[in-house]
Amino acid sequence: MIEWSEQHLMIRDTVKRFVDEEIVPNLEALEHGDMPPYDILRKLIQTFGMDEMARARFAKQIAAEKAGSASGKKDRGAKKEESQGSDGRGDATAMSLIPIIEICRYCPGMVTAMGVSLGLTSAAIMSKGTTEQKERWALDLMTFDKVGAWAITEPGSGSDAFGSMKSTAVDNGDGTYTLNGNKTFITNGPYADTIVFICKLDEPGVDPKDRKIMNFILEKGMEGLTQTQPMRKMGLHSSPTGELFLSDVVVSKDHLLGGKPVERSKSGAKDTFSMERSGVAAMALGMIERCLELSLKYAKERVQFGKPIGEFQLIQEKLARMEVARINVENMVFRTIEGAELGRGITFAEASAMKLYSARAAVEVAMEAVQIYGGNGYMSEYLVEQLARDAKVLQIYAGTDEIQISAIARDLLSRP
Amino acid sequence: MKVMVCLKQVPHQDARLDVNADGTWIQDGNIKFEINSYDTYALEEALKIKDAGEADVVVVSIGPDRVTQALRTALGMGADRAIHVKDDDADLSDTLGCAKILAAIAKEENPDIVFTGFMSDDGNFSAVAPMLAELLDLPSATGVLSVEVGDSLKCERELEGGALEVVELPKPCLAAIQTGANQVRYASLKGIMQAKKKPVDVKTMADLGVSDAGAGAVKAKIEKVYVPPKGDSAEILSGSTDEIVGQLVTKIKELGVL
Ligand SMILES: Cc1cc2nc3c(=O)[nH]c(=O)nc-3n(C[C@H](O)[C@H](O)[C@H](O)COP(=O)(O)OP(=O)(O)OC[C@H]3O[C@@H](n4cnc5c(N)ncnc54)[C@H](O)[C@@H]3O)c2cc1C
Ligand SMILES: Cc1cc2nc3c(=O)[nH]c(=O)nc-3n(C[C@H](O)[C@H](O)[C@H](O)COP(=O)(O)OP(=O)(O)OC[C@H]3O[C@@H](n4cnc5c(N)ncnc54)[C@H](O)[C@@H]3O)c2cc1C
Repeated sequence: MIEWSEQHLMIRDTVKRFVDEEIVPNLEALEHGDMPPYDILRKLIQTFGMDEMARARFAKQIAAEKAGSASGKKDRGAKKEESQGSDGRGDATAMSLIPIIEICRYCPGMVTAMGVSLGLTSAAIMSKGTTEQKERWALDLMTFDKVGAWAITEPGSGSDAFGSMKSTAVDNGDGTYTLNGNKTFITNGPYADTIVFICKLDEPGVDPKDRKIMNFILEKGMEGLTQTQPMRKMGLHSSPTGELFLSDVVVSKDHLLGGKPVERSKSGAKDTFSMERSGVAAMALGMIERCLELSLKYAKERVQFGKPIGEFQLIQEKLARMEVARINVENMVFRTIEGAELGRGITFAEASAMKLYSARAAVEVAMEAVQIYGGNGYMSEYLVEQLARDAKVLQIYAGTDEIQISAIARDLLSRP
Repeated sequence: MKVMVCLKQVPHQDARLDVNADGTWIQDGNIKFEINSYDTYALEEALKIKDAGEADVVVVSIGPDRVTQALRTALGMGADRAIHVKDDDADLSDTLGCAKILAAIAKEENPDIVFTGFMSDDGNFSAVAPMLAELLDLPSATGVLSVEVGDSLKCERELEGGALEVVELPKPCLAAIQTGANQVRYASLKGIMQAKKKPVDVKTMADLGVSDAGAGAVKAKIEKVYVPPKGDSAEILSGSTDEIVGQLVTKIKELGVL
């Protein structure tokens, strides 16, 4: 794939119109006020029929599971076969990435809030949950009727998420578990209806390092669960981020995702990470495109020393670098779509490489856009100021740059 | 019930418009296009009828290859079929020529209702709709803000000074829709993906048996398209802010505009 298809461009135009009509007029309230993003996101999902599509997809998967014919990998194989026609997985991937790109031109925070709920939380339940759990919790997340949060990070464990994890589950032996722990930096934490809480099974005699990992599904309002107010942060203001405190939260076994501990091989987590990381490339693309457009416009209009600043070579160098970044990141998005179309996907190492490059590119481009705007670039009135603050998070969440680098290097060094 | 909607593709409202080399139109080689805003309201009226019950919505456009995108967008929003008159000569038609081509399609299609936009964002003629109604011998209304479909079509028209007029048109009939008549829907993602499977009939003037449209039949020729030159009557005031304000106030008083 080297360019967008006619359908893709149509999707782009129609999402663009939504962004112009529904998001841009609310940008001030979303980014500099206290307006949560959920009503607009819900409207987005309903307007474009994504809820209806999710329901259809869900019904099909559940029916297949109940028929007992297919599950997990087999199911995926079957889908691949039937999608060889024009309605392939490439288009499905493009359909999910294009709105990300368009919204990130203005509001990367909204994409984060949406992605964590739809991409991470519902995907975790859909990939690891039992059929009953999917019916009970996942569908409402897929349609965005409910807001989801996915909680792994703790004050003492970020990059080393599993190694230093302190949150615990105690098996009460009566079909219930008691959960304790603190989670931090949790996207949608303050508003989430459904939370996937990741912790370790507290087994006496087993070294904490080797304890089993368990995912529990929590619901807003459970006794002992506190969801804090949004934390103040550098950027991404349209994505509420909070802390979760669990103090002796007792849940029945039907809240244990999949009904059992997670395999330590973490291969499931890798799929999730790959998806999350390719989403970051799409986010970066939207931000880069917008920064470049704004910079070009400003470079043509702003006159200093008797000329538009775009005529100075030092400004031209910035614009040229921005264009190189835009082309590279766009090609990464194309590669993601093409990989899906061919059914090969992208490997974990590729996803890490893309995330590393696109996050850095977004930060560089956004900061250079601020530079081109001079004093105006530092003022909140101009969008580049917000995008520069927002971009930085791409180097931190979904695995920091340093963690991506070690994943890439580990993969390279492990090759025969 | 069958509803035919006439769509024109026009330069995007954000497109930069430069006059072409021979001064006969704008340079349209490298700009973005969109569906004429008035026509999107016309399409929405048709889709509302479809939502309410049984209706086959056919969208029609005259223009080069790029017009496919406008038609696909309309199909993505919910129209059932599209007819694309792709004919270099047809593109050179004047308003009457366009009306004749659209009339030929309407004669083949026999719609119960024809919707058009009140005018086009680029040409501003407001002429095709009444001409088309005349050629088809249909009752028609222009500047329509809302319609009510029954055995006839009740149209609310916008008049000068915010007054409204209600007219009732027996079907078949034609209504030219005003902007702001409704809330134009978005194409859903599924709609867009399905649109590529919906039929688009491509026709030429010859296919439609139209011989009196196109370049040869043009009655009003465009002499010249140009951007008005900057007038020399502009006066730039200079000095300190206080001085400029003083001069400005004096000017306004001199001119007696207040
Ligand atoms: C806006 C936002 C939203 C978030 N949303 C969520 C969410 O929804 N759910 C969730 O669970 N978490 C969420 N997080 C948390 C995020 O995943 C973590 O911040 C991230 O994984 C980094 O962990 P940390 O902050 O603890 O940093 P640390 O892991 O403490 O890292 C500090 C620094 O040390 C470096 N470092 C660490 N280990 C190594 C190493 N081995 N080699 C080299 N350098 C290393 C890091 O790269 C970094 O530069 C969010 C974070 C932010 C900022
Ligand atoms: C927080 C803040 C506080 C400030 N406080 C004060 C203050 O107290 N008093 C005051 O007078 N001013 C103040 N300023 C203004 C500040 O000095 C100017 O913003 C700065 O000089 C840049 O000017 P500018 O914003 O007009 O950008 P511009 O001069 O328009 O520059 C835009 C871009 O073009 C580049 N550029 C311009 N000319 C060239 C060239 N010849 N070659 C290559 N590149 C070029 C610039 O480097 C920049 O990247 C403040 C600004 C900020 C952000």
